[in-house]
Amino acid sequence: MTDVFGAEFLDRLHSAGAVKNQAPFEALRTHGFPNRRVEAWRYTDLASQLAQTLTPAGLRINQEQSGLFGPNPSVEAVDGDALSLLNAAVGGEGFLFDVPARAKLKPVFARFGPMVGSALVNATNRITVGEGAQAVLVERWGQTDDSWMNSDTAIDVADGGHLTRVILVEDGGHGTQTHRTFTALGENARYDALVVTLGGGLHRIEQHVDINKPGAHAGLSAIVLKKGKEHSDFVTNVRHLAEDTTSDQQVRTVVDDEATAVFQGGIKVAQDSQRIEGDQLSRALMLSDRAQAFTKPELEIYADDVKCSHGATVGDLDEDALFYMRARGVDEAAARALLILAFAREPFEALELPEAVETMLDGKIQEWLGVAGRFEELDL
Amino acid sequence: MLDIKGLQAGLEDGTEILKGINLSIGAGEVHAIMGPNGSGKSTTANILSGKPGYEVTAGSATLDGEDLFEMEPEERAHAGLFQAFQYPVEIPGVQASTFLQTAVNAKRKVKGLPELDALAFVRELRAKAKQLGIGNDMLKRAVNVGFSGGEKKRFETLQMALLEPKLAVLDETDSGLDVDALRVVAEGVNALRAPDRSFLVITHYQRLLDYIVPDYVHILSDGKIVKSGDKSLALEVEQTGYAEFEAA
Repeated sequence: MTDVFGAEFLDRLHSAGAVKNQAPFEALRTHGFPNRRVEAWRYTDLASQLAQTLTPAGLRINQEQSGLFGPNPSVEAVDGDALSLLNAAVGGEGFLFDVPARAKLKPVFARFGPMVGSALVNATNRITVGEGAQAVLVERWGQTDDSWMNSDTAIDVADGGHLTRVILVEDGGHGTQTHRTFTALGENARYDALVVTLGGGLHRIEQHVDINKPGAHAGLSAIVLKKGKEHSDFVTNVRHLAEDTTSDQQVRTVVDDEATAVFQGGIKVAQDSQRIEGDQLSRALMLSDRAQAFTKPELEIYADDVKCSHGATVGDLDEDALFYMRARGVDEAAARALLILAFAREPFEALELPEAVETMLDGKIQEWLGVAGRFEELDL
Repeated sequence: MLDIKGLQAGLEDGTEILKGINLSIGAGEVHAIMGPNGSGKSTTANILSGKPGYEVTAGSATLDGEDLFEMEPEERAHAGLFQAFQYPVEIPGVQASTFLQTAVNAKRKVKGLPELDALAFVRELRAKAKQLGIGNDMLKRAVNVGFSGGEKKRFETLQMALLEPKLAVLDETDSGLDVDALRVVAEGVNALRAPDRSFLVITHYQRLLDYIVPDYVHILSDGKIVKSGDKSLALEVEQTGYAEFEAA
């Protein structure tokens, strides 16, 4: 048993009496956690996470505005992945968000954490968006120390429904956040997700979308801002399982110091799924020679009438633009901040976010850049 | 105001372009530098503003006694230098008005003045933009992105009006403009003429100088000023071409 990756971590959980569900725990004990020989985990090493002694704790949920939001008492395994098994084995309450058919909601803000100390937090969440309903959900996951927040979220968007979801993962400490989402889309349904990851030790955010019916669209974007020795792994897996469906993935990464950012972008088109458009663009800004950015597009296409594109660029800031601003008296640091801010904001364009949400995210990005509150769009 | 002495400069790769320029511009004066392509006109402008990629090998340039070559580009701007660019750079994602507010406040801060808040700045911006026929839609767009040639040059002029420089260097401001656009830009520039503000107008053609009338005209050829005179020199060039002035 001891040659299974993470066996001692599991033993510690077991002795602490943290295991609530035996079946997923046994499966995990048998197969262990994925090591870097597993392709999907090639860039991300869980060794230091698994060396920790963590205390299981419940998820702190702060949500006041919406009666459609509540705790999710059920803990069911969503997927066979080891981290989903961990979630199911150790359990923990997540949230439920139910949007009734044809409802048009104002943005709903929910805050998870901030967790303190060295906790292991697991949560299983469920979001359902009824037929023709429209909702914007803004989730903030945060912690101040070295906790590990691990969640699975199952999303079902019914025919004609539209869910816009912002997932802001922000850590003050060196903790770990591993969050997976599994979304199923009905006919003409739409799922737009924007992941913003800031701070932390290790963040791995996975977005799996099954586009099950014609006319549906998945838009997955991420703004990844990393410095110090932070590590981010953004994973997408869009499956076009019906004809006449579209997807768009936009990732903007800024890495400084010795940080690492990974984007593993998957588009799969099933055999009979014709007239598909799937786009993917990953752009990374490297602010330091020791920072690293990896992009791994994974396209599997089994149909003929398909337009898929993927692109990746890695670069530095535009020197001409920097000089132009400096020649107008803007100091170099501010000029750089303006350019990075503009770069990071690029995914906003396709999302049509409510102004309050955009302003909040703008503030977070400016804070990260060390220019909090300095730049604002003028009201002309 | 501006004193250039024995300026020799070129590209960082060692290519020599300016071979000893001497030029003094007094307060309130308008000087024009004319010359054929490749004579070093734009290089002169770029070296004054501190554009990367160039190297000064000899000589000096001072603005009101301050050594420009000792300063970063933003410090030169704070000291009162302004270059209206021949090819203004597009900056996607940076709202034109945000950029202008940042630039204006950067200068105010250096001068020890309080920064303008959004309301106060927008008031000033609107007034100055209106004079140049610049509407709100243009100010809401990203810097120079999707601007026509004329809009870019008007936006340069707006920046000049907001930053109120001591010395404005206009680098081929007429390039890419039709007559109507040229007139609007020239009127904007002329409105900024003041006893304590000087201009260095760099151009290939005499045409611009019909609108922005210079006090002095200098002919630049192969990195040297080969002849100086009053505005009639520009008309002479128009008739004879530059060949006559080429350095021996």
